[in-house]
Amino acid sequence: MRVLVGGVGYRFLRDGAIGPYMADELAAGAANGIEVEDLGYHPVGFTQNLQDRPAYDRIVLVGAIARGREPGTVTAYRWDHALPSDKDIQERVSEAVTGVISLDNLLIVTEAFGAFPRDVRVVEVEPADEGWGEGFSPVVEAKLAEIEEAIWSSTRP
Amino acid sequence: MCFKNLPIEFDAQGNATLKENVPNPYAYTETPAPTPIEDDPDRMRDLVERNGGVRRVDFDPITRVAGALAFHTVVDLESREVLETASMATLFRGYEVILKGRDPRDAIFISSRACGVCGGVHATASALACEMAFGIHPPPLGTVARNLLLSIEYLYDHPIHLGLLAGPDFSEPAVRETNPEIWERAEQTRAPGRATHGYEFVSEIMTDMTPLTGKLYLEGLHYTRVAREAYVLIGGKYPHPQTVVPGGISTTIDASDLNEIMLRVVKYFDYGRKTVAIWNDVIDFFYEVNPKYRDIGTRPANMIEPGQWDDPYAYDGTFANADEWGRQRWAPPSVIVEGEVVTTSLQMLNAGVEEFVEHAFYEEWVGNGHGNENYKFPTDPAGNPLSPYHPWNKETIPKPTGTNWKEKYSWSTAPRWDRLAMETGAYSRLWGAAAAGGTFTKDRFIESTGRSLKINLPKADLPADPIEWHIPEIWGAFERNRARAYCILYTAAIAYDNILLAYDLLRKGGPDAKMSTPYKVPKDFRIGVGLWSAGRGYLTHHMTMDKQVIENYQILTPSTFMASPKDPFGNPGPYEEAVSATPLLENYEKPEDFKGIDVLRAIRSFDPCMPCTTHIHTDDRTISREVVTCACGAEGPHEH
Repeated sequence: MRVLVGGVGYRFLRDGAIGPYMADELAAGAANGIEVEDLGYHPVGFTQNLQDRPAYDRIVLVGAIARGREPGTVTAYRWDHALPSDKDIQERVSEAVTGVISLDNLLIVTEAFGAFPRDVRVVEVEPADEGWGEGFSPVVEAKLAEIEEAIWSSTRP
Repeated sequence: MCFKNLPIEFDAQGNATLKENVPNPYAYTETPAPTPIEDDPDRMRDLVERNGGVRRVDFDPITRVAGALAFHTVVDLESREVLETASMATLFRGYEVILKGRDPRDAIFISSRACGVCGGVHATASALACEMAFGIHPPPLGTVARNLLLSIEYLYDHPIHLGLLAGPDFSEPAVRETNPEIWERAEQTRAPGRATHGYEFVSEIMTDMTPLTGKLYLEGLHYTRVAREAYVLIGGKYPHPQTVVPGGISTTIDASDLNEIMLRVVKYFDYGRKTVAIWNDVIDFFYEVNPKYRDIGTRPANMIEPGQWDDPYAYDGTFANADEWGRQRWAPPSVIVEGEVVTTSLQMLNAGVEEFVEHAFYEEWVGNGHGNENYKFPTDPAGNPLSPYHPWNKETIPKPTGTNWKEKYSWSTAPRWDRLAMETGAYSRLWGAAAAGGTFTKDRFIESTGRSLKINLPKADLPADPIEWHIPEIWGAFERNRARAYCILYTAAIAYDNILLAYDLLRKGGPDAKMSTPYKVPKDFRIGVGLWSAGRGYLTHHMTMDKQVIENYQILTPSTFMASPKDPFGNPGPYEEAVSATPLLENYEKPEDFKGIDVLRAIRSFDPCMPCTTHIHTDDRTISREVVTCACGAEGPHEH
């Protein structure tokens, strides 16, 4: 089984940097068909890169996204490939080519251009602090092991 | 004499000096902004009684632009006029503070994050500022490699704007929705450029401009990929290169790399020809349908263009010689007032720049236009007078308040040149080169006639017909888009010229074929400026440093010039001015049907890029970050 684990987000934005941080941390453990990559670049570029590669069986994305949950909440789920309206997609594409990097953006744009495999898993973290700087908030710091385990679990057949 | 409003005159030798016997020469008296219609009940009542078509229409956010821009208008839907405008930059950044106290070389990598589209131009502007401060410059091949990076960045940027951001305003869904009668006519109108682009009717072009599904939209996306592939061969990453350093480029290139780059650049020869034909057909069709489309987004042709693409043998990194090496650039420096070039001197371009904050959420740093006799840099390193409002003298002091159209309403400052609102962009470099005439002999594929620019690129699949861009009689939104289409070819020609130059340098070898020059970071006080450009035009990074760290750093971007609020002299910013002049040609029967397509076409024609427009100062009075498109937001207590 060929699996891509991608960390999504910006570096140096505290909890917002959890995606790239995890990509760095897990890269050394990538083996047996699992590839780990920093997806901290715009989703159109990622879509085009995916289209160039042999198909993955599964893609696992990890990143911080604020959805009003308790900070530090870790949510792992299989994505349903649901897309918003064409107008919304168009706005997401505009954001993507002008540099916006976000988990939702990446999901929507990549799906809209048909580059995802059927099996897409997401590990989301509710951020407490997305301000400029290195390191994580205490609440997210305390969840690093849980986040890592959620990612590895998402790669298992 | 290029200045009409600043207190600068020139002696017999052409040296700039302050006018004599003028106390406090840069002082000014603020002209109050007009009272907003909503705050003037009598005027509002008169307007409403006259007709029922007066409406407040706010575009917040304006989509299909980079970053966060909001635009306030009051329109009269019966007389089809825009009565009031206000441009609001709503996004905050923090580079000045993030960079203070850092190693100046950090600025290259940090300032790059000011933009998610064109980070490389910020990296390069930082490198140029460092070079001036350090007293170094790259070997010729390093300069040529930097030129290639810049060209390729533009070949990424222009297709994005034309295909994905502005193009959809001219697509079938947009035209059907806002002017169905124009769509019907487009279905009956043959496209003159069919031999080049392949479309028989104008309507077919509009259909393929449709977002997400149109072939031209998707083609625009595809060409961003081609450019990125070329860019990373030298830059390592896109949009934030890893190889731009003071004194050149920190990687090597060989003929194989150049071959790979050339294979990609030549694809833009045909793509550029096709894009020119498409935009010519669409724009000329609109003009034929209604000549008033020439007036969408019109304003005086006042433009500022620092120039870019350095001559590998002329550029020496010094401020003293900036006029000489500036004029040797592939895009020559130009300040254009009312369509005429008033200076090509980089020193005068720099001396004429000021930033005002009367209508921005900042505190003025020299005493509200009055107490400005004592400031740090009354002259530049060459002895030319500088204003206390010049970026080298600027301090960023945020002052968040509520939004008030008469007082403060934007996080963009109001930059001016000679106290005039200037626009800038792909078209200002085209205009400056076209106006240069016989003095512009820089590129073997480009010829300047004084009123036009001829681009003679080699044949790819399409015939090698020369393409000629003419300086337009009326300057407006559609002409901005047309010029940007020509700029794809102009940029490809410069890229191709530099590729050939790089081959020559590699073949000759020796010191000229080195990519960078060694240096030490000086320990004493130094001053520098990167006078460069972005895809959207003017870009400068002004820096002072001492004891090997940055003392002050000011980034001035194209969209800061163009999205600016009103200035203390009562003049609107370019977006505001352009929208005020825009006739509402949209087809609406009821006010609720009004979409504002003409306003949006006017604003988008400037290619707004807001992430780099504003900056935040992170101290006790910090304003919170809203949206980031790169990694450098700043956050603190939210007061606004």
